[in-house]
Amino acid sequence: MTRPLLSLQNVKKCFGTIAAVDGVTLDIHENEFFALLGASGSGKTTLLRMLAGFEDLTAGDILLEGTSIANIPPNRRPVNLMFQTYALFPHMTVAQNIAYGLEMDKLPKAQIKTHVDEILQVIQLAHLAKRKPDQLSGGQRQRVALARALVKRPKVLLLDEPLGALDKKLRGEMQLELKRLQHEFGITFIVVTHDQEEALVMADRVAIMQDGALLQVGTPHEIYEFPETRFAADFIGVMNFLPVKVSRGAAHTSNGTRIATDKPLDLPDGSAAVAAIRPERLHVGIQSDNMLTGEITAIAYHGLDLLLHIMTPLADTPIISRMTADVADHHNPAVGQQITVGWSARDTHIFPA
Amino acid sequence: MTNDRRPLILMSPALLWLFGLMVVPCLLILALAFFRRGLYGGIEYTWTLENIALVFDPLYFKIFMKSAGIAGLAAGIASVLGYAAAYAIASMPRRHQPMLLFFAVLPFWSNYLVRTYAWIVLLNREGLIVNLARWFGFEGEMPKLLYTESAVVIGLVYNYLPFVILSCYAPLSRLNPEIAEASRDLGASGWKTFRRITLPMTVPGIATGFVFVFVLSIGNFVTPALLGGGQFQMIGNLVYAQFLTANDWPFGAALSMVLILVMLGLLMLQAVVTERASGGKKQIDG
Ligand SMILES: Nc1ncnc2c1ncn2[C@@H]1O[C@H](COP(=O)(O)OP(=O)(O)OP(=O)(O)O)[C@@H](O)[C@H]1O
Ligand SMILES: [Mg+2]
Repeated sequence: MTRPLLSLQNVKKCFGTIAAVDGVTLDIHENEFFALLGASGSGKTTLLRMLAGFEDLTAGDILLEGTSIANIPPNRRPVNLMFQTYALFPHMTVAQNIAYGLEMDKLPKAQIKTHVDEILQVIQLAHLAKRKPDQLSGGQRQRVALARALVKRPKVLLLDEPLGALDKKLRGEMQLELKRLQHEFGITFIVVTHDQEEALVMADRVAIMQDGALLQVGTPHEIYEFPETRFAADFIGVMNFLPVKVSRGAAHTSNGTRIATDKPLDLPDGSAAVAAIRPERLHVGIQSDNMLTGEITAIAYHGLDLLLHIMTPLADTPIISRMTADVADHHNPAVGQQITVGWSARDTHIFPA
Repeated sequence: MTNDRRPLILMSPALLWLFGLMVVPCLLILALAFFRRGLYGGIEYTWTLENIALVFDPLYFKIFMKSAGIAGLAAGIASVLGYAAAYAIASMPRRHQPMLLFFAVLPFWSNYLVRTYAWIVLLNREGLIVNLARWFGFEGEMPKLLYTESAVVIGLVYNYLPFVILSCYAPLSRLNPEIAEASRDLGASGWKTFRRITLPMTVPGIATGFVFVFVLSIGNFVTPALLGGGQFQMIGNLVYAQFLTANDWPFGAALSMVLILVMLGLLMLQAVVTERASGGKKQIDG
């Protein structure tokens, strides 16, 4: 691959004794839509602020196109940040807010006007150009904040929970909108979110962050289907965990059934582990590598599909199986029924407990 | 419906107090401005505009303008100093700010007269400042400090500075730091950010502080009397003299009336500035 656009090298930030960002090494490429995913307090905002230039590095270095930007002040970095709170200038109109960054670049007036008008069209707010921020709805404000950062055409656009304040439906629309804009402008986006679904939908690559460190980096497919740690498996989507014990080089449930997996199992005999299976990989009425029987304790109806909660003697919590609507029509599951589900060795992950 | 009355009931004691003990007596006094002065200091109840006209007589109008000049200078200096102090306090760590504010307004807790007398001691011909200058090796003739216009301005600035600090601190401390950061992020230097973002957003605080100091200064008569040493009169001294020595109540009332109108005008202007800067949260048409 070509030289990365942005290269983080063992980046570290300490506030007093706590390390908010703890040794992050990461390459981000031109035109990439990159999502940083992590629980609250995992250091996502701190990492973005370091990239924007608002926090200095305790250790490590940040390279943009091969040159260090660690000591360049925020106003001279070709990087823009869209703040979690939007941080619009309340005393300026929408148009003035958007023009501000271009004025700082000392562009001629006529050119500024062209750019502002253009981007107002793109975000479909031309009719509100003369409004002040407090006369806008949350979604409109969010688009102004985005336009204000985007109009400068930075090399990298950093977005801190850009959709955090929006309701679910608007979020869905804006996710696609963000992707469209990123494509249209050809700018590298780094988006922070703690909504894993959002990260999977939007990003080309996702990084999972925990306690200031990157746990796993990969495409949404890799992250979802091949989690490398139990935390990553649990954090993304829904995952079933069956407690198992390793003996004779294989995982066994508490009643001694061997769990078939095609993944290498390099855990010592006698160690405790968990087998992890996605709900949509559990099938009813099909002979599979692994089988399990239990009682349906609850059925959650989701329209497209049903989630069956199946209590088995093998785990303290119910196993969740996802059943599509047409399969459900065929099987007619009911609470209290005994049910047998199966899954393939290919869909079984084993993690140390 | 009973709920709607509650604010009125709660406010009425204060309103009655203000109306009965402030507004009515003031109006009564101001009404005197339209009557003739009696021969021996009494009031002759014949209708006239002479007193009002006299206010604009060059002799008195000059005093008016001079008072406005001194008040404006004091308000200007206090605004700059006060804003700087408030800015410094607001950029300190949050937990230290209450204590710093407390120190900034500490002089308020002492008596106005005592504070002003203290300045006499400082500015005196053999006072602290002159002695300090000597101690630092300043030779030759010291400029006269006490009983000058500058002394009056210094006294006014000193006395009213805490008002400005408080009125500027309020909007400064409420600023979301991310707004200034957004400005930096968009390419503005620190100074540009201050000029285009921080300052415009906190102008209401400065306007409030300025008008406060101006209004309190232009009518002040204690400081000019003590630190100006009767060298010149400010409008407050003139009013004071009309009521208490010259016994010309109608003219005193006329002076007061013009003064009050000027103050009201300024307060209204300040309200407009504040409204503007806050963006006027009305209007939701397209
Ligand atoms: N200025 C600061 N001073 C001290 N500690 C800080 C500071 N900023 C952040 N931290 C700490 O650093 C850690 C990471 O914070 P950060 O804001 O980066 O988290 P985040 O992943 O963005 O969380 P969220 O999803 O809640 O926004 C937290 O433990 C936080 O308390
Ligand atoms: Mg955050």
